[in-house]
Amino acid sequence: MELVLFSISSAVAVFATVMMITRVNAVHGLLYLILSLLAVGVLFFLLGAHFAAVLEVIIYAGAIMVMFVFVIMMLNQGEKTTDQERAWLTPGIWIGPSVLALILFAEVLVVIAGGGSAETGQLVDSKQVGIALYGPYLLAVELASMLLLAGLVGAYHLGKPMMAKRREA
Amino acid sequence: MNTGLGGAMDIIGILLSVIFVSAMLIWVERRLLAVWQDRLGPNRVGPLGLFQVAADMIKMFFKEDWIPPFADKPVFVLAPTIVFITMLTGFAVIPFAPGVGIIDFNFGLLYFLALTSLSVYSVVLAGYASNNKYSMLGSLRAAAQTVSYEVFMGISIMGVVMLSGTFNLREIVEAQRDGWFILPQFAGFIVFLVAAVAESRRAPFDLPEAEQELIAGFHIEYSGMKFGMFFVGEYLGITLSSAMIVTLFFGGWLGPWLPPLVWFCLKTAAFILFFILLRGSLPRPRYDQLMTFGWKAMLPVALLNLLATGAVALSSA
Amino acid sequence: MNIEATLVSDLLPLIVYFGAVLAVTGVMLGGAYFLGQRHSAKAANEPFESGIVPAGDVHIRFSIQFYLLAIFFVIFDMESVFLFAWSVALRESGWPGFIEALIFIGVLLAALIYLWSIGALDWRTRRQRIDAQKSGRRE
Repeated sequence: MELVLFSISSAVAVFATVMMITRVNAVHGLLYLILSLLAVGVLFFLLGAHFAAVLEVIIYAGAIMVMFVFVIMMLNQGEKTTDQERAWLTPGIWIGPSVLALILFAEVLVVIAGGGSAETGQLVDSKQVGIALYGPYLLAVELASMLLLAGLVGAYHLGKPMMAKRREA
Repeated sequence: MNTGLGGAMDIIGILLSVIFVSAMLIWVERRLLAVWQDRLGPNRVGPLGLFQVAADMIKMFFKEDWIPPFADKPVFVLAPTIVFITMLTGFAVIPFAPGVGIIDFNFGLLYFLALTSLSVYSVVLAGYASNNKYSMLGSLRAAAQTVSYEVFMGISIMGVVMLSGTFNLREIVEAQRDGWFILPQFAGFIVFLVAAVAESRRAPFDLPEAEQELIAGFHIEYSGMKFGMFFVGEYLGITLSSAMIVTLFFGGWLGPWLPPLVWFCLKTAAFILFFILLRGSLPRPRYDQLMTFGWKAMLPVALLNLLATGAVALSSA
Repeated sequence: MNIEATLVSDLLPLIVYFGAVLAVTGVMLGGAYFLGQRHSAKAANEPFESGIVPAGDVHIRFSIQFYLLAIFFVIFDMESVFLFAWSVALRESGWPGFIEALIFIGVLLAALIYLWSIGALDWRTRRQRIDAQKSGRRE
């Protein structure tokens, strides 16, 4: 049963990612990307990493993608740039990255065939994640907070020249 | 882990009763607002106008299923379904009573937060797909407001998690046997209440659809059943928020004499009525006041509440 | 594998419920599609702009505040996720964990105060700011 669910959600994730790359309308592409992230969330859940599964939805699908859609919508990139996108999707551009991705995929296959299975069959409770974060990994959490602080301040100051100009105008 | 949960009766019963309650709320709200404004409200269809909802439903089915030719068609259809589906799916983790419910998740609270974070897509996509200036402005406002209040909503309920030590909603209810969390978590409750009103974009936080400025905001180009989905989605949101408030702060199904399910429904109904009363009594703030209030008042209060709760819980343990 | 198997069978009600929700949505949209009337009128296919002929298109420029807000939201949302992990493991991580979270929230509050003091959270329009200055009010 779990194998069936796992296969279905993997297939959805791969399909959605391919669709996301090939869409010419930016918003449609983002919708497929959201679908792909949700499918990855289901995969995490099936692997027993519940907290990671929920975070995948809250952070990636629910926050970062919202920001993407929000900004794309404000830039009105939906209909306007389809021709531009179409012009970019020539074979010359996507063949290079695809070959590299195939090499990576082959490596993964070799690893799996070599018996280095990633499947643990273990349930990771959200409590364990919390204990780990606020115990042995405390420095990582503080570093993350500093990084996020830098992100906040940086974002504001990158946007500020534009705001100053707008105020003068 | 979930004995007696998730039977066919549970699934069908919960789905139908949730949709029925949310649809009836349209009538309840119109009648109540009318009473408070010294009017009669809808009273023609059936006794006391009770069948108004059925009439509305039939009307919506027979309305023209119109998709504007200038809209982004697939996204235009997708947008209203997102709010409807996410809100309905949210009810899966609500602990209605012992043995009544769909599923008993260990992370039910996070599941609820994940679904609310997804529901914002409906307004963003509706505004984008409509290709209308008012829709665009309305959905920008709606998205900015929703995402702002989403941050404090998550933080405000973490005090409850600290006291009960779990994300499982059933265990949270059980942890309130010795006293409802409304007392130790009053600040968290206030922040959550405000965030819940803002998330459902109801008056007084209905700036995205402020009739006087934006006509109808993000759903201006919607009509018929697709508009109906936004409309029912709003009432589903109120019902879900009320149920969450009851679960997290008011002891869920706990209560003397009456059966647990009755207690849960009574408490939830009281909060639904409170939401309607809010709409009937408070004026709409200015947009900058709304955002300022969120970031400068609600967020610090939620963070300090979290710290205080942590300190108290640790020192008493 | 055993744990997962029980997990998935526990999930079954949710999957069925989700399917039922999708079915209801489908019936509502499909029903309206088949039952709804069709007609065409001359001006029906124009964007609604308060009854006047629509001018220009939706490609208008928006305030940069909205972009900034989107970034602030993502960052604060991530910080709140760290706090989720702390609150569920509050008792287990004890006072050392509390001090760590105190520093974490302190950094968060410092960021908030900084943004506040430089006016990044000021949502008033230029006009509203000028009006407020004229009447001698602050914020």
